[in-house]
Amino acid sequence: MSDLVWLYDFLAQVLPLSSMQARFMQQALVALLLLAPMTAAMGIVVVNFRMAFFAEAISHSAFTGVALGVLFAVSPGWTMPLFGLLVGLGITAVQRHSDLASDTVIGVFFSAMLAFGLAMVSRDRSLARDMQRFLYGDILTISEAEIWFLLLLFFLVFIFLASNYNRLLYAGINSTLARTHRVRVQILQYLFSGLLALLVMFSVRAIGVLLVTALLVVPAAGARNFSRSAGAMFWWAMAISTSSAVLGLLISAQDWARTATGATIILVACFWFVASLLFARLRWN
Amino acid sequence: MGSCTAIIGPNGAGKTTLLLALLGELSYQGHISFPGYGGRRPRIGYVPQRLSFDRGLPLTVCEFLALGFQIGPLWFGVSAALQKKAKETLAQVKAEHLAGRRLGALSGGELQRVLLALALQQQPELLVLDEPASGVDFQGEHVFCELLDALRLSQGFTQLMVSHDLPTVTHHATHVICLNHRVAAEGPPQQVLTPENLSAIFGLHMGLVNLQSMPMAQAGCTAPCCQPANENQ
Repeated sequence: MSDLVWLYDFLAQVLPLSSMQARFMQQALVALLLLAPMTAAMGIVVVNFRMAFFAEAISHSAFTGVALGVLFAVSPGWTMPLFGLLVGLGITAVQRHSDLASDTVIGVFFSAMLAFGLAMVSRDRSLARDMQRFLYGDILTISEAEIWFLLLLFFLVFIFLASNYNRLLYAGINSTLARTHRVRVQILQYLFSGLLALLVMFSVRAIGVLLVTALLVVPAAGARNFSRSAGAMFWWAMAISTSSAVLGLLISAQDWARTATGATIILVACFWFVASLLFARLRWN
Repeated sequence: MGSCTAIIGPNGAGKTTLLLALLGELSYQGHISFPGYGGRRPRIGYVPQRLSFDRGLPLTVCEFLALGFQIGPLWFGVSAALQKKAKETLAQVKAEHLAGRRLGALSGGELQRVLLALALQQQPELLVLDEPASGVDFQGEHVFCELLDALRLSQGFTQLMVSHDLPTVTHHATHVICLNHRVAAEGPPQQVLTPENLSAIFGLHMGLVNLQSMPMAQAGCTAPCCQPANENQ
């Protein structure tokens, strides 16, 4: 299944750098060009709903998902996203039906996930070796099948957002007000949490458990400082996220850098954020 | 139709709870009926007490007003038709200059007008306001209530508001419900807001404080919008 060769060749021509001639770099670039817009757009809603901690909890359940796969002899490629989805919907349900503050609910889930994951790892030596891959991510070894899956997720996410973005924003501002406008806040929240969980699981593959939340939050946070309107914020987040992903990949491949790709991407995004802070400061003055 | 009912009562009397039940936000026992709408629920516009939201959010007033109406995402801006509609509604609440401002940068009084504009965009048959006077100074509150009166007369919606503020109630309500876990008294303001009733509901303290501003038959708002209500009694 190598139907994307034309795309790789095209990217190699657009970016005629020596580092971009390797196929794995071209695949990584395609994956990042799919992932970055998704995390940017979903990240805006994450920031508006204050769901950063939620995303963090999902990403930390990735390892447990893999451990479960090993335990039941199922491919971790399936158990990881499925388990993430389950945790995401579980947290949303408990939040809705309990009086506890949402960060408390997430905190409980978070610890349970992590404890279970660590318990599994401590039993199985071979799993421990994989741990580093999950902590730091590895976009450079992404497979073509995973790229196809990302493409599918890309369409799912953008179809969902294109038809529900305004309602999500509305529900994030004030859910009572949104409901008087016949916005079905509850269903929206479940759908969003589910999609977000899937997206987070795929991002873990690319940039690792530790930095997933950054990919969601940093571009949206920078975009907030740059823009005055919701429309502008969307495009700023897109620009920051995509440019950080591409630049981060290219820099990490340079001889003088040789850094982990995921971390480099987040560093570039953080530079964007600092620039946005300065911009906001100048504008107020 | 066109009446203005005020719900008053001490803290914890259940005023906001009643409104939330009316909006369908709370489950409740019993039955809420809407006589005069042929068995259906009227279109309800809701102006919340204090909109607690993320003030740093980049969102213009025009975008805010379009949120509940535009299906296409705001990425490509607000449609021309909705921009026009937003400007018209803002003009009705004398806030057309706010269209391009950021929602989080509005003052309390400005935000309240924008929230009223949002409720008006739904062409409400019943407009529900929770503490319209809170967070606004005395002058602003007076202007806001007069604005509401004028809109009510021109658009013919029924107004239902929760208020702590007795002067507002006496000036603008055509009907008062005193709530203290149950309906303690109801009727036209002049009959309900008696010192005896008030001290029974709010305690002695409130009765004493409000003796001077008590609405005797001749007392009331001098604004033209209030005159028909006074003539009826």
